Amino acid sequence: MTGTVFDVQRFSVHDGPGIRTVVFLKGCPLDCFWCHNPESKCRVPNIGYAPGLCLNCGACLTACKMNCHRMENDRHVYERAGCRRCGACAEACPAAALETIGRETNVESLIAEAVRDRPFYEATGGGLTLSGGEPLAQPAFAAALLRAAKQASLSACLETSGYADGSVLREVATLADKVLFDIKESDSERHRAGTGVPLEPIVANLSRLAAAGARLELRCPIVPGWNDRDGHWRGLAALARRVRGIEGIRLMPYHPMGVSKAERIGLDSANMPREFPEPDTVAQWAHAVQALTDIPVGVG
Amino acid sequence: MNKGGGFVSESVRRLSEETRRLAELYMSGEVGRSVRPAEFGLSADFVDSGPTPDRLYAEAVRRIAACAPLRILPGEKLAGAATVSEAMRHEVPLTPYRSISHTTLGFEMALRFGYRGVRRRIETRLADNGLDAGERDFLEAMRLCLEAARHWHARHVAELERRMAAARDGERRQLSAVLVALRPVPEHPPRTFREAVQALWLLWNFQRLCGNWSGIGRMDKMLGPFLERDVAAGRTTLDEARELLAHFWIKGCEWITAEGRGSGDAQYYQNIVLAGVDEQGLPVLNAVTDLVLDVVEELRIADFPIAVRLSSRTPERLLRRMADLQRLGGGIVAAYNDDRIVPVLAQFGYPLPEARNYANDGCWELLVPGKTSFGYQPFDALLLQETLGLTRPEPDERRRKIECDEWAPHARPDGARRDYPDFEALYADFHHRLERQIERLTDASAFSDTPCPLLSLLVEDCIGRARSYLQGGPVYTVRSPHAGGLPDVANSLLVVRRLVYEEKTLPLSDLVAIVRSDWAGQEALRRRILTRFEFYGNDRAEADAMLARVFNDYTDLVGARRERHGVLRPAGVSTFGREGSVFLPHRTATASGQKRGAILAPNLSPTPGADRRGPSAAIRSHCSLDYSRLPGGTALDLKIHPSAVAGEAGRTALVGLLRAFVRLGGMFMQTDVVDNDVLRDAQAHPDRYPNLSVRVSGWSARFATLSREWQDMIIARTEQGRYGERP
Ligand code: SF4
Ligand code: SF4
Repeated sequence: MTGTVFDVQRFSVHDGPGIRTVVFLKGCPLDCFWCHNPESKCRVPNIGYAPGLCLNCGACLTACKMNCHRMENDRHVYERAGCRRCGACAEACPAAALETIGRETNVESLIAEAVRDRPFYEATGGGLTLSGGEPLAQPAFAAALLRAAKQASLSACLETSGYADGSVLREVATLADKVLFDIKESDSERHRAGTGVPLEPIVANLSRLAAAGARLELRCPIVPGWNDRDGHWRGLAALARRVRGIEGIRLMPYHPMGVSKAERIGLDSANMPREFPEPDTVAQWAHAVQALTDIPVGVG
Repeated sequence: MNKGGGFVSESVRRLSEETRRLAELYMSGEVGRSVRPAEFGLSADFVDSGPTPDRLYAEAVRRIAACAPLRILPGEKLAGAATVSEAMRHEVPLTPYRSISHTTLGFEMALRFGYRGVRRRIETRLADNGLDAGERDFLEAMRLCLEAARHWHARHVAELERRMAAARDGERRQLSAVLVALRPVPEHPPRTFREAVQALWLLWNFQRLCGNWSGIGRMDKMLGPFLERDVAAGRTTLDEARELLAHFWIKGCEWITAEGRGSGDAQYYQNIVLAGVDEQGLPVLNAVTDLVLDVVEELRIADFPIAVRLSSRTPERLLRRMADLQRLGGGIVAAYNDDRIVPVLAQFGYPLPEARNYANDGCWELLVPGKTSFGYQPFDALLLQETLGLTRPEPDERRRKIECDEWAPHARPDGARRDYPDFEALYADFHHRLERQIERLTDASAFSDTPCPLLSLLVEDCIGRARSYLQGGPVYTVRSPHAGGLPDVANSLLVVRRLVYEEKTLPLSDLVAIVRSDWAGQEALRRRILTRFEFYGNDRAEADAMLARVFNDYTDLVGARRERHGVLRPAGVSTFGREGSVFLPHRTATASGQKRGAILAPNLSPTPGADRRGPSAAIRSHCSLDYSRLPGGTALDLKIHPSAVAGEAGRTALVGLLRAFVRLGGMFMQTDVVDNDVLRDAQAHPDRYPNLSVRVSGWSARFATLSREWQDMIIARTEQGRYGERP
């Protein structure tokens, strides 16, 4: 069983309990304007280019059949128009200035990598986390990974936007020991405007998972100027009250690290906020939400 | 991170305001700057009388005790201070002799018997008519040093009495408390916790005044029982005990000058070891363990680097405290793994009770405290460069014949290399060079005539053998070969094997020429190597296996020379910053893509920037080696950015790293939580961060006091992520 993965990150400590290895699956049906992993959006590989690393060696010119690379005054220029994302130039680039982001890989090799940190998981209650993108964009692969994790006695978390076919989601999610469920906005209109998809099926899926007995944690990206308002805090608290069995609410303060990633793969980053919220502000958010619910509210 | 101005914690407040103020005074460097050269000397008559070196030394100690200024600052709870600046320069004041460091003296024994007990033993020994003149002379010198220590003590008592007579109520009570504790010790064994702390301070500090920089050793093991008895009897409280220990810490900063020393050595090897087990194998974990951590948490004093002995049985609570301290930055608290170390030492030949009682030498090398004359023999194991013909020309014909016939055929007078037909032939040449180097080291004599009767007082069995610390007096004399640069040897071998012998894309001579030219015009190839190879530190089988081969060969070679001329030779691996100072000027570029002048791997840690998969992978790589072969020990230096260990989750993660390190069989790990921007800023504006401290392999240093090259090294280590992204 193979799928497309854009990163495997060991020693992740903020993606479920304990020390974890996070496998980032490529592809996402949402289009959040602030996305901090823009390279996850597209199911096929992206070509990343970091001009700062370029040696102007010209190796990519020879490698590319589509003439996307050229030299101007001895400086390399990459023109994305016409690029088929075949990755030949990245293969040739000595400096990894050009990189193929996203690779086809199989369940066995990912689990083999994940089990290497077993002593760290055992010491901390950690394990494997599937993230993305939206893991459910590759449902069979996600399910196979979770099953293989179970077979290898690894605890596994699933991080999901909740935007997926309900029964498929339930089937996959119940293979996970814990589901980190994103709620980005509690107002329907704003949700559609900010993420490109409706809120209702997400909430329905959340209830469905709760009914199926999934262990749930809400993960709530907070983007200053977009959803950092009392109405959203009330919305979150109400949701957590309505859906039984939510174990925690985690506010994820926006960080602009996605901007450079977007630029690297040639996406327009003009709409992305540029500021980090102040720690004090973040503490106030957490305080405000906690005042409305008994469920523990965490940050980050 | 110890930031200037904020080194006394604002958020943690358990100590009295008075104590906190005293800490600020010491850490500002004001006290240290007042330490002056001795304004007294040996009398000309004495020197002209032609004393033996031991007698000259003893007379110097006598003069120091009689004439060195006393320093008793208002509010201080402990008496004794090292007030002559020659001692800060690693000299025995008033003499031409180097003093001694890299040891931990027998403070535990001295607390049990007092100077009184030591004196009796000397006198008994002197009664032996079979002593020769030299032995007698040495014992006499020891006795004179003890007298001097007694005089130093008496001067403090007299001064305190004088001040008391003039003092008012509050001050008087306070001086009286100092005096009461001071009066009987260290002449007699202490009876209370306060006496014990005073005794330990003075035992250690008088050595220091005379230039000897000893580690402290197992403080909680030594002091804990006193505290427990006192608390049970209602004689003291934990709060009082914490204040007292804080004064120990504060006074230990007496040599901080807050002026750059310009050398890498920014502290005085005053290491402390906590927890672990005692000689019977019972856990050592008591109120003193906790109080020491309290003090460090509040005062952020890094001048006593702390290593905590961990095992699979260490309670979660202690690990969480360590994690909290590690998150403060500055790397003040490091970890030993008893589960690994105790068996290794026992297997090496120490009796089990002594193996269980190990401490360190002032860095992290292992020794049995109070019984060991310790030294280590560092060398650059990047001898592969010679194999490749990248360094100095070979020795001349004559020496070559004598030293190594087998190795000679490949030698070229110009330092150039003949091609090796295959990888094994190349490796064999490296192996020969390694063996030759180890043979040289282990054959060197360990003994010296430099006198050291004062230090020898506190080392078993110098009295019994009537021989000094440097002449085989101690129960163990250890000279531990310490190889540096092994990870870079392995990484280079990996590149050579793949490019030259497997893919055959580059003849060896071409590769060597490229490396010799420092990769000039070959940036593309260099980057290709850096981006395509996964070197040691990434938990990849190929690189780790290559290092294991080099490591096993090294430890085999040293292991075959376990003891020579009465000297133990436990193999160790370390660089202690040599990668940024001593080795650096001699090192050329490497086949692994490093340019000349790059800072290579510290100790047995990944080469800076090579560990792309984070700390768990670095730990796995490190622990893939078999440390039962390494009785001299080694270190893994982990640098973690604060971002990775924030919050409760980050704390859990740090605890997890410690637990996993123990479980995976590592020896010593120090985790430094640092932020590169802070370091860069500190480099540009040292005045902003006078107390910013960073720990490098067993010692911590004030960043501002380090020379530029050391700062660069630390920044290089801090850098995470890919090589390519580094400027
Ligand atoms: S990915 Fe393929 S088509 Fe696109 S620039 Fe590179 S080589 Fe050309
Ligand atoms: S191959 Fe890489 S380094 Fe060379 S010009 Fe192209 S992008 Fe730059």
